[in-house]
Amino acid sequence: MKIINSAHAGTLESSDIYIQINPFKEDKIELELESSVEELYGDAIKELIIKTLEDMNVSFVHVKAQDKGAMDLVIKARLQAAVLRACESDPVWEEL
Amino acid sequence: MNSSISVSEFGSDNKRRVAKVKEFLDKNGLDMSSDVEVFVTIKDEDEMIACGGLAGKVLKCIAVDSSRRGQGLILKVVTHLLNAAFTRGTKELFLFSTPKNIKFFEDCGFRLIEECDGEVILMENSKNLAKYQAELSSLKKDGDVIGSIVMNANPFTLGHSYLIEEASKRSDWLHLFVVKEDASEFKFADRIRLIREGIKHLKNVTVHEGSDYIISKATFPTYFIKDKGQVNEIHAKLDLNVFRNQLAPYLGITHRFVGTEPYCKVTNNYNQNMKKILADPNGKSAPIEVVEIERIEFADQAISASRVRKLLNEKNYDELKNIVPPTTFEFLMKEII
Repeated sequence: MKIINSAHAGTLESSDIYIQINPFKEDKIELELESSVEELYGDAIKELIIKTLEDMNVSFVHVKAQDKGAMDLVIKARLQAAVLRACESDPVWEEL
Repeated sequence: MNSSISVSEFGSDNKRRVAKVKEFLDKNGLDMSSDVEVFVTIKDEDEMIACGGLAGKVLKCIAVDSSRRGQGLILKVVTHLLNAAFTRGTKELFLFSTPKNIKFFEDCGFRLIEECDGEVILMENSKNLAKYQAELSSLKKDGDVIGSIVMNANPFTLGHSYLIEEASKRSDWLHLFVVKEDASEFKFADRIRLIREGIKHLKNVTVHEGSDYIISKATFPTYFIKDKGQVNEIHAKLDLNVFRNQLAPYLGITHRFVGTEPYCKVTNNYNQNMKKILADPNGKSAPIEVVEIERIEFADQAISASRVRKLLNEKNYDELKNIVPPTTFEFLMKEII
């Protein structure tokens, strides 16, 4: 999927994550993560974000995430929502 | 969280609701800011319990009712303000608040730029300050006296040119910052071009484009609404603290030059604060000596950009010609045709 616009999803509230997606000029996933549970789960969250984006076939993307201890399924859902908002193509629901 | 809580967003043209926000801010010891364009409020039933505002790229007027603190309402307000900003295409944001809230806003992805007098803080959610500091470092020059001037030059007059020449004479190197905000009568591109043309003969001057960190709507919002007489001393102080602590050290600035200000109260007040804050021997960074240079006069009146604007209005071009350099005069004559 091609990131065309900037988009965001989520909130800054506890147990949620606020994600911003922007088009990026290079063919890579540029990730900025700040998390209230960074020491314990920082690497796991980064891995999850990158895997989710790769599964959606997304590159050329800048992701900024402000995590407040969201669970994996929340992180994944917020990220997918932001990506879909940033793309102009329709999602393939079976693959999500 | 209580289900009776509702969030709404509205523009500054909604006078009735803005008045309610003002009342709420009053109650919480905060001032309303006249440049806010979008407000976010949180209500429980019909009672306002939190609010916040967006002015360009600055979040401000953020307050939570004293009885409702500790419930994370501030996070809700900031979420909605961020959404409002992003929807308008503004991603790199600043935030004005009070020092007790630093931790909350850090949790929202903001970093502290500067704190002033234990009263006010300026934060940003990008890493632009660090980038700007690195850029300044690369332009650093050696010398015993590294001078600096910050000017709007709206437009460039013989007064400005005299100030720059004097400062250039007294400095090994001079850094000249031009206010970048396009909020004045003359556009930034024109203002800086006229300065560059007017000081071509000086060899020890770097002309810097200003930034969000020097007399901008972020550091010093009331500068741009001074005609309305809304002077906020704390903004002036904040701007000067940012200059001293966050910018000057990266260029090794030792002096700041400024023209005496006989007319404009805001500018004169700024000059007085400049001496207090930049030259204070106790501070986070090295003090900067402030040198006030007497303005030159024409026909017993100090030359200033405001006088130029007045003469332009009066179409008094003969007198105007005497107080601006030829390059500025030519530009002004082209502009009015």
